[in-house]
Amino acid sequence: MPLRARLAATLRTLFRQSSLDRDLDEELHTYERLLGDRKIAAGVDPPAARAAARRELGDLSLVKADVGAARVGHVIETTLWDARYTLRSLAKTPGFTAAAILTLALGIGANSAIFSIVRAMLLSPLPYRDPSRLVFVWSDMSAIGYPRAPLSAPELKDLRDRTTLFDGFGSVWSTTAVLNGDGEPEQLRVGLVSTNFFPLLGADAAIGRAFAAEDESTSAPRTILLTWSLWQRRYGGDRAVVGRAIRVNGQTATVVGVMPSDFRLLMPPDSAVPDDLQAFVLLNPQALVRAPRGQQYLRVVGRMKRGVTLEEARGDVNRVAAAISKEFTEYGANGRVLTTVGLQADGVRQIRPVLLALSGGVGILLLIACVNVASLLVARAAARARETAVRLSFGATRLRLLRQCLVEGLILAVFGTVAGIATGWAALRLLLVLRPDQLSRLDSARVDATVLAVTIATAAGCGILFSLAPLVELRRADPLHALQADGRRAGGSIHYRMRSALVLVQIAMSVVLLVGAALMLRSFAALQRVNPGFRSEGTLTFRMALGPRYQAPDAFNAFGRQLEAALASLPGVRGVGALSHVPYDTVPNWGGPYLSRIDQDESTAVMADNRAVTPGLLETIGMDLIDGRFFTEDDDQRRDLVVIVDDQLARRSWPGRSAVGQRIASDPFSTGHARVWATVIGVVRHLRHRTLLEDLNDQLYFSERQVRRNPVAYFVRVGGDPAAVSAQVKRTVAALDPELPVSDVRPFDDYVSAARAPQRFSSLLALTFGGVALMLATVGVYGVIAYATARRRYEFGVRLALGARPRHVTGAIVREGARLTALGMAAGVVIAAAVSRLLSAQLYGVSPHDPVSYAATTAAIGLAALLASWVPAKRAVAVTPLDALRAE
Amino acid sequence: MPRTGLLKGTLDLLILRTLELEPRHGFSIAERLEQVTQGTFCVRPGSLFPGLHRLEGEGLIRGAWSADDRGRRIKMYELTAAGRRRLAAEKKQWQRIVRAVAQVLGEA
Repeated sequence: MPLRARLAATLRTLFRQSSLDRDLDEELHTYERLLGDRKIAAGVDPPAARAAARRELGDLSLVKADVGAARVGHVIETTLWDARYTLRSLAKTPGFTAAAILTLALGIGANSAIFSIVRAMLLSPLPYRDPSRLVFVWSDMSAIGYPRAPLSAPELKDLRDRTTLFDGFGSVWSTTAVLNGDGEPEQLRVGLVSTNFFPLLGADAAIGRAFAAEDESTSAPRTILLTWSLWQRRYGGDRAVVGRAIRVNGQTATVVGVMPSDFRLLMPPDSAVPDDLQAFVLLNPQALVRAPRGQQYLRVVGRMKRGVTLEEARGDVNRVAAAISKEFTEYGANGRVLTTVGLQADGVRQIRPVLLALSGGVGILLLIACVNVASLLVARAAARARETAVRLSFGATRLRLLRQCLVEGLILAVFGTVAGIATGWAALRLLLVLRPDQLSRLDSARVDATVLAVTIATAAGCGILFSLAPLVELRRADPLHALQADGRRAGGSIHYRMRSALVLVQIAMSVVLLVGAALMLRSFAALQRVNPGFRSEGTLTFRMALGPRYQAPDAFNAFGRQLEAALASLPGVRGVGALSHVPYDTVPNWGGPYLSRIDQDESTAVMADNRAVTPGLLETIGMDLIDGRFFTEDDDQRRDLVVIVDDQLARRSWPGRSAVGQRIASDPFSTGHARVWATVIGVVRHLRHRTLLEDLNDQLYFSERQVRRNPVAYFVRVGGDPAAVSAQVKRTVAALDPELPVSDVRPFDDYVSAARAPQRFSSLLALTFGGVALMLATVGVYGVIAYATARRRYEFGVRLALGARPRHVTGAIVREGARLTALGMAAGVVIAAAVSRLLSAQLYGVSPHDPVSYAATTAAIGLAALLASWVPAKRAVAVTPLDALRAE
Repeated sequence: MPRTGLLKGTLDLLILRTLELEPRHGFSIAERLEQVTQGTFCVRPGSLFPGLHRLEGEGLIRGAWSADDRGRRIKMYELTAAGRRRLAAEKKQWQRIVRAVAQVLGEA
């Protein structure tokens, strides 16, 4: 049949139902009349003829039903009828409907929120041209404690000259610079890039241009490239700024262009190239090819030629590494080992397992939600067993009943999806508000078309899944049995078994989620107890860089002393000190190899983190001096270099002996060689200053008055709220030199809580999942026990009437719930023990098989389940035996 | 029910054939079928009306209300162009089956 005619007929069926029915009525009556007429014509007595005609036509309603079934669009029509029926019955049972939709909204919403994050972080390609061809090259110095170290300029040149499978290699590094003029001085986070860096990524300036070869020449004017946000904020989006000279670090630089607003620099999180760089300047590695090979600071990105696999590219780079290891003696016995990794994969190296664990968690949550809805639907099917039996015996096909179940499930799924998408959207907004600073890349997560499509597909799958649960019962439904038995008990045992099995699954899965949550919480608690080796409360920090005026050591130190004295004299200030790096800040680390014996081979030297401090810091942040003395103002440019080591370095270098008075060679001026000898004057307790979790590098402390790091961070300890003194602090600096930019004036605590934020965030998420799972499982247990209890009301009535004590009856019911719960918990503990080691990378200070977490979880679920079965049990015995028996 | 079991789909063919020469109403179709087959096929309303409505829905016949000789509303069915094409095709198909079956029976 032509499509148009079929469509027209379908529409007629659907929308002109009543007129079709009237027509059919008239047709049938005409038939009856004509049949009667013929019988009369054949000589039958008129009344008898009419009666015979009516008999012959039979039951008109059956004929009409058959005609209806033969019509095109009949399936849709009955489906709509089912839908209407479902909607009516859902409206009649608001409790059931609300429970089902809420359950689904939680399950689907959590999935849609997490999926949008997974999509943004793991699935979306990096925002560069052909990003799958970009690789990141690390220097693997595991032998001396640095598995992921940067490269040196000569090595970048080697990669460019000697590889054959790459279009090119570019480099980036980050630093800070001072911006003067056009308003208050400010400190910028600046990316130092090679000329080809942006073309290599496939990025270009939105206004003006990116760097070009002509900028490389030493005679060319200095250039700077602004990010969109800096251009908007500081220059008000004025296009005239492009081509103009601005003052950077006291020198002029020409603005060559502005990067597009959507440009993101997404380097691996541990590459010390932050996502929020504000400007870029050229670092021309060509000029540095003679630099020492130990001077490693370049983060190297390569672009593979089209069609080259990562494996082949890796081979190419390894070949170069092997060659230079042989050619250059400074690599020593270890040689140079280079690791080539996909830029995208490396960027999500740490977040990936977290996101996968989260996805697993929300998946389980959705499954629990589905089981809950399935369990509710089974209960409804049980309540309707008699109706089903009647319909079957009146000739309804099983297919028809199956369709009705599916319609019911899908309608719930539709409501659940709508509610779930709304929940997911809200959950994502909430996650983005709560997200730690370190996860700024989450901000690109959106509930977009793909997320919607996946959510809807998931929900439809769930809808089909849980609407199939009652079908298992339908398949077994035996009209005769159901009708003979009392309706209330019909099919009961089967339904009950089915629901019990579902609840068992639910409890098991809740145990898995809750164990995960408990482990995360315990890790977070352990993290809170970690002693970082310093005190952060009541302390204000700010960073400041001195300009070229302070080039001379005398001027530099004089200003430092003057500033510290001025700050210390502010009312309420208890201590002032300076440190080159605020713990947990994102500025690039400062470190290098050190030698503790004269005959030591430099290539095998252990790396240490270098820090510069002023004498006041020890007291201000409460460092722990173990041996010797701390720096004094006398340890300045006029004296020989002295150094303080951490206890870890002392133990490693001079086990069993005092470190004080020993000599150590290191590289405080970043030359690439550990050649500067200094005497150890003291030992301090190791500071966890880069991460709270594990911070295993040895530490070397220099006197700021001797090494003169610029910029440094100042720490001002006050009695009360540190933010209260920030205005005074800024005024104090400006009074000494109004040209100096003071940046990041923040409480020290902010850095520490930011360092804890990722763990706090994941514990919060895990706890939320666990809580929702516990809630859903409790509802599940309550539902199944309440249902079983209601079904056995008659039995309880008889038992009570025969003299059973109420507490015996209650006990029997609670025991039933306890049996289910115990079985589910046993299964859950086994599963949790098997899968929790997947979490171990996220755990800190707690084993994946931590007995406390397991005990707490089983106790929580056990209590919740007991309560969930005790409530219906109490209700069962609250009725008098007479009522129970009468109701039957 | 027909006194001889109708092959599936045969009822459609018979209805279409009955309408080939002139439009008829439901009762007239049943009467005509019974006459022509001398009582071999007796189509009851329970089969006739679903068939008619199905054929109408498929666009093979068209039903229209008109007045009978005494001026009463009556629904008359007529073949559509698609119905005629279908009838011709079904006829050929049927004759092939009849010939084939006859051959088989003749040989036996």
